[in-house]
Amino acid sequence: MIRMALPKGRNLVSAKAAFRRAGLSLEVLERDERKLILTSPEDDLELLLLKDWDVPRYVQYGIADCGIVGTDVLEELDGDLLVPVCLLEGRCRLSFIGGEGAWPEPGSQVRLATKYPGIARKVLIEQPWGAEILELSGSIELAPLLELADLALDIVQTGRTLTENHLYELKVVREIAPCLVVNRASFQEHRGPLNDLIRRLEAAGVVE
Amino acid sequence: MKVTAALPSGVSALFFDSARQRRGLEENLVELLEGCGYGEVVLPILDYLEPYEPLLSTGARGELYRFIDRDGEQLALRADFTPMLARLLAPRLPSMELPLRFFYRGDVVRYHEERPGRQRESYQMGAELLGVEGESAEQEIFELFLSMLTTCGLPDVRVVLGFAGSLGGLATACVGDDGAADFLAAIDRRERRILQGLDGPPGKAVREVLEDGLPQDLEALGSEMAESIRAVANLREDLQHRFPEFQLNIDLAEFAGVSRPDDGFRSTSARSYYDGLLFRAYCAGGAQPVGGGGRYDSLFRSLGAKVAAVGFSLSMERVLAVPETLQRAGRLCGGVTP
Repeated sequence: MIRMALPKGRNLVSAKAAFRRAGLSLEVLERDERKLILTSPEDDLELLLLKDWDVPRYVQYGIADCGIVGTDVLEELDGDLLVPVCLLEGRCRLSFIGGEGAWPEPGSQVRLATKYPGIARKVLIEQPWGAEILELSGSIELAPLLELADLALDIVQTGRTLTENHLYELKVVREIAPCLVVNRASFQEHRGPLNDLIRRLEAAGVVE
Repeated sequence: MKVTAALPSGVSALFFDSARQRRGLEENLVELLEGCGYGEVVLPILDYLEPYEPLLSTGARGELYRFIDRDGEQLALRADFTPMLARLLAPRLPSMELPLRFFYRGDVVRYHEERPGRQRESYQMGAELLGVEGESAEQEIFELFLSMLTTCGLPDVRVVLGFAGSLGGLATACVGDDGAADFLAAIDRRERRILQGLDGPPGKAVREVLEDGLPQDLEALGSEMAESIRAVANLREDLQHRFPEFQLNIDLAEFAGVSRPDDGFRSTSARSYYDGLLFRAYCAGGAQPVGGGGRYDSLFRSLGAKVAAVGFSLSMERVLAVPETLQRAGRLCGGVTP
């Protein structure tokens, strides 16, 4: 039986939709239970519901064989995982966010709020201005709104939060997709079922 | 400074039972190696940096602990036994009688970000065979590797076999020389998006490599490489009969990041000196391989010596992290199992 880690956050809806279109039941996820490890015998799966940032850790340590995680988290944590397919649904952008006219002048130094300091360092190399990176764990948009930072680097899905708070998506730096990640050792152990799962997702047209 | 028992990340001390278990297993492995005609070599942990500069891949360079000594010499802590052995033996080979069979044990020190199974100081045991040409050397060293795994008592062992640079020709056929390195990196992560727009036999071969590890039509890899993979398949078949408790599979995608030094592709592997057979062993519950090895003739060639070379190493921390090994080691040395 494969053990899969699913994210509790924004990617759970997309993951459930994709797996159900691929013929999985995942009925166990709809039960109001407080079990930490869920068993879905009809899908031959064990499921772990984890915070987004913990999914790659559980997979990398081999506690879960596979999982669903966004490419934002994957790049930030820089793990050695297999990434066979990415879901078509649930895509978003990692963007610089700020107030009107907040884009820095060349040569200037600004403060950038983000929960992605690793990606921020890579992206900043390509900018003609510098930034002090301020690592925050949530409500990143609040930082430029209340002038804790000049800019934010964060996920933008619909842009509604930004519009309602008079903030702007100033520049897209990454297209983000939820992806199926697999532990290398697990792939060797469960090659057949994992390939079967991937083929079903492909046949359902929910991944690329 | 306040005295505490804290250690730097990725470093561990073994006390009493833990130490006894490791030494117990080590002694059994030494007995096996010596019984197979392998003699021990003991190497320093501190060495000059300069001789290794041309041999270092970007990945290996990033792992090195290096510093300038008080006399101005650039020194490095031992990060890998094989290049050190090659450097020390290459100038002496003309006066030595071949073949040479030797083994080593000791620490390697590598800087790693905190990652599963990645110790910064890691205790390895390994063996090398020099001066035996062709497949008989690979047969001997691979069989010795499997015998070591048997001695360790590891459960559900899966050994993956491959060949350095095996997918270079296929990658070039699919995307041309310029895109081949990125294409190989994507195969290494088994990214199926690379199948988009790939039609005909190359597309079929890449799909089979991603799923099964091997194309049905080996000629898709080029006729010379197809011949090499057939030899690996023969080796696998032979050793599978003799070690039925292990599962041996050929999976070229597992080693897509290892290119041969003369391929012209950027190798994503820190151990970039392999140029032929490759193997790696996983066991139940382990997210990282417990050991691996392969052929590395070109390492000696780059040091001016022409000699066939095959070898492997085992990570003792990863081997002993498996409960079954610990129990066995406890029994072997008469210690108390946890």
